[in-house]
Amino acid sequence: MILPAIVASQRTHLDTLAKDWLDAGASSFSIWTDGVVLASWPEAPVDETACLIEAIQVNAVKIGELRITGLHAAAHCQRLQAQAGLIAQIARLERDLNSMGADLIDTQDQLLALYNLTQATRNYLDTEELLARLAFETARLVKAEAAFFLIHMKGRSPIIQHYPQPILNDEALQHYIELMKESQHEFLFSRGSSDQALGIRNMLMVPIKVRDAETAVMGMLNKFDGDFNSPDIKLAGAIAEFTGAQIENVIMHQMNTEQARLQTEMELAQRIQIHLLPQEPPGIAGLDLWAASWPASRVGGDFYDFIIGANQPFTFTVGDISGKGIPAALLMAMTRTVIRTKTKVMPMPSPQVVMGRSNQELYEDFTKLSMFATVFVGQYDSVNRQLLYANAGHSPVIYCPAGGEARLLRADGTPMGILPTSLSKDQWIDFQPGDVLVVATDGFSEARNAHDKEFGYDRLTLLVQSLAHHPARVIAENIYKTVSDFSNGMSQADDQTLVVLKGVGA
Amino acid sequence: MEIQTRSADNVKILEFTGRFDTYTADTARQWLEQAMTDNPANVVVNLEKVDFVDSTALATLVHSLKRCRELNGDLRLCQLQQSVRMVFELTRLDRFFEIFAQEDEAIQAFAH
Repeated sequence: MILPAIVASQRTHLDTLAKDWLDAGASSFSIWTDGVVLASWPEAPVDETACLIEAIQVNAVKIGELRITGLHAAAHCQRLQAQAGLIAQIARLERDLNSMGADLIDTQDQLLALYNLTQATRNYLDTEELLARLAFETARLVKAEAAFFLIHMKGRSPIIQHYPQPILNDEALQHYIELMKESQHEFLFSRGSSDQALGIRNMLMVPIKVRDAETAVMGMLNKFDGDFNSPDIKLAGAIAEFTGAQIENVIMHQMNTEQARLQTEMELAQRIQIHLLPQEPPGIAGLDLWAASWPASRVGGDFYDFIIGANQPFTFTVGDISGKGIPAALLMAMTRTVIRTKTKVMPMPSPQVVMGRSNQELYEDFTKLSMFATVFVGQYDSVNRQLLYANAGHSPVIYCPAGGEARLLRADGTPMGILPTSLSKDQWIDFQPGDVLVVATDGFSEARNAHDKEFGYDRLTLLVQSLAHHPARVIAENIYKTVSDFSNGMSQADDQTLVVLKGVGA
Repeated sequence: MEIQTRSADNVKILEFTGRFDTYTADTARQWLEQAMTDNPANVVVNLEKVDFVDSTALATLVHSLKRCRELNGDLRLCQLQQSVRMVFELTRLDRFFEIFAQEDEAIQAFAH
């Protein structure tokens, strides 16, 4: 009760008021609450038959009264009324002060509780472990028998953690979650509406805000003393807020980890791919040979190969699988192997036959995967100094006879995987000392500069001509450097692969 | 890349605009799938406003042509820019696709 406290704390002022009344002729002045006297001046037993009575009201509720005996005048009545009003005002202020103090203590408790919660859970990087710990801490903090957390991210299975064990079955839980979703804020379920069959006295459910979550909710069941009240709702709201942020952190961490894993796998794939290519060109009489491949940032589908079989002419291949990434890389490995195998098992494998057989073998797979490969298969006849080749849609292939003009050798057949039967026929060119053949992939000709201008076939053909007097390796490295300088600063969009052959004296 | 569609004489016409490459091929593929619902599936792809095609784009067109032929139809190309035409010539995909100078020629060719 507030009035006894005011009587005690304001005693001196009340003494002055009482003295004024007694001086004015009153026989007594007293303060009452619920029919009991709290203070009286003089302190002698009070005469019950008061002449003037004025109620002390706070927000229309009577908390006590002032009584005077021995005076009747209207002026006295007004004065008493004013004094009752003043005491009521003091009572109001006192009450506000008290409630603010209580709120402050509650807030401080909650802050401490939340601090403990954040300390306890900040190191969890696994959603399930985090939720399990949160359920435990929440039940402890709100003094409830049980707590649960349910997080359902879009496209994933829901995660539910109960502490200490589920009180609601999944069906009931779902039902209440739907009810909560409809109301769009916390869902409070108290003793009056208790659902005895489920063993619940009371329950508080609070939504959790998590980006990209289908459903995210926390719940507390069966508070130990009484019902969930407004400080509990505030505390639960704060826990929900923290949980939401923490879950987003955990998910972000998981995504980063996954990204790092994929990155590592990609790098591994790229290393494997590079190792599939011959590391050193073989020594072939009459030829100066060089090959290199500069992959773009992602794994790609370029390849080259040198095939040397017993009693077989030296065979080399260059290919480019359509598309990019892992699918192209897988088909690249497959195509290279098929061509190599077909070449090795045949006694006299002309490029046209190798191409035809390989296409036959790969056609269905390419069609299934909606891909194709441009392939060049060449063979060097060291006796006649001739190059025999078949070209399935591959470019650029640039031939520069010694001292002459460089020109493109155009394909006659469609790429591998386009038609069930290869259209590529055997073709041949003389290959004398000083003659140069560059079989490259379109990563060179299609390289672009900052003005979106393509390096192009003409520039590449002239470049080969200008470099033709150099050894094969110098030609290869200069082509790469020139194209790289051209696209200065632009990232390499596609793999760049080339094989350079130069005729030399035996 | 922008894609416009129209139809004439049981032929679906798709007109692509912009770069047709790895990054836009998926959109193109979806539109092509939609155009290939009839039997026979007759499709004309107008490339007049396409200034660049890469191998993924070519693979998309190849796939669609194979699909059209499975559905007793065909996929024809028309109005190729010089640079795009050169890509078809160098890869010899001009031996696989029927390529027309004008859109109405490509459409009329289905009548024969």
